[in-house]
Amino acid sequence: MAGGQERNLRRRIKTVNATRKITKAMELIAASQITRSQARITANRPFRDGMRRIIIEAAKGDPAAAKRLLAQPENVESALVLIVAGDRGLSGAYNSSVLRAGERLVNSLRAQGTNVRIIAVGKKAAPYFRFRGFNVEQSFIGFADRPSFADARGVASTVAAPYIDGEVQQVFLVSTRFLSAGSQVVETEQLLPLSVPEAPVETSTKLKGYTEFEPEVEQLLFFLAPRALESEIFSALLEGAASFHTSQQRAMAAATDNADDLGQNLTRIMNRARQDSITTEIMEIVGGAEALRSGK
Amino acid sequence: MATLKVEIVTPEAALWRGEANALIARSSEGDFTILPQHTETVGDIVAGVVRVQTNEGEFAFAVHGGYFQVGPDDVEGVTRATVLAGVAERTTDIDVARAQAAKERAEAELAALTKGDPEDHAAHLLAHAALERAELRLRAAAN
Repeated sequence: MAGGQERNLRRRIKTVNATRKITKAMELIAASQITRSQARITANRPFRDGMRRIIIEAAKGDPAAAKRLLAQPENVESALVLIVAGDRGLSGAYNSSVLRAGERLVNSLRAQGTNVRIIAVGKKAAPYFRFRGFNVEQSFIGFADRPSFADARGVASTVAAPYIDGEVQQVFLVSTRFLSAGSQVVETEQLLPLSVPEAPVETSTKLKGYTEFEPEVEQLLFFLAPRALESEIFSALLEGAASFHTSQQRAMAAATDNADDLGQNLTRIMNRARQDSITTEIMEIVGGAEALRSGK
Repeated sequence: MATLKVEIVTPEAALWRGEANALIARSSEGDFTILPQHTETVGDIVAGVVRVQTNEGEFAFAVHGGYFQVGPDDVEGVTRATVLAGVAERTTDIDVARAQAAKERAEAELAALTKGDPEDHAAHLLAHAALERAELRLRAAAN
């Protein structure tokens, strides 16, 4: 009967509105997280830049030592890929784009005959690779939303261990870089051997010619390298988190808009159905009355 | 006039930045003081107290190991000194009770480890590091 259709529509509208409430709430939460994670990136910048400057200085100070510690390996037998994804879904293309980029890198390394090992950050990463038949050595879960420096340290030591033992010759990082609130880009970079940033972060205005080192450059670099690795991983985690929240906010805003549209359409259809049923009822009443009168 | 701009930075935040007269710390080669117009230097800092002397008095920081860089003077004769530390805090921010508790916890842990499994190097190192951090905090907070 017509009334049944109306009741059905009413129920669907209720569902859509309930979903809309959830997506709206998630959107608002994500928006507040964006601000916070962006502030953390800004707070981290002096440290990251300072670390890079020190590496540049040290590499300039003793190019020979830098070459020994930071040079490109000639023969890469095994490589390790660190992939930074998110812990949660409902974030648009955030996870899938970083995971796809990771998969591409793994495949291209394999095509060159390199052995590839995978370490992942974020709950969403490991299942993706396992499903495709890749072995994920270790998966870090639980801090992708709000990484702390201690988390970055943990990741760094896990990643560095096989490199130090000589089991892998190269370590790559696939993560999402937070360029601005409007643009986040998935990037692949080499973590180890540490690449010395080509362009100085800040060009000095006056050069005094030589730099003193305490202790000697080689020793300094030896201990500095793991710290620099931690710093790079930490900023990648921070930027990943900020990108995740941005992406989620955008996805949830779109979902809320969709729910709005859907609700509006359904309401319209429901109103029409109600009107139809009212019309039919009136017709029936009128028809009935007419029949009674003519029967008299 | 030659001035020194000091920045003490951790991964989570810039702890302190401002103009100073001197920066005093200890590297693996020994104690050092950075004054304005110090030459460009890059070095490490061993766990200890880093002091910054300013016109407003002295600020002290417990630094749990790190690095420093003294940049080239810029045109105005400002020397920039940056201290980078994974973990650092103002000595006035140290929670003595918490550090004391952490110290006792680490000591208990160490005692248990020596009795239990002397082969567990990783746990040993962790407990040792925790003990050292707690001791540094207490020392730094004391003066």
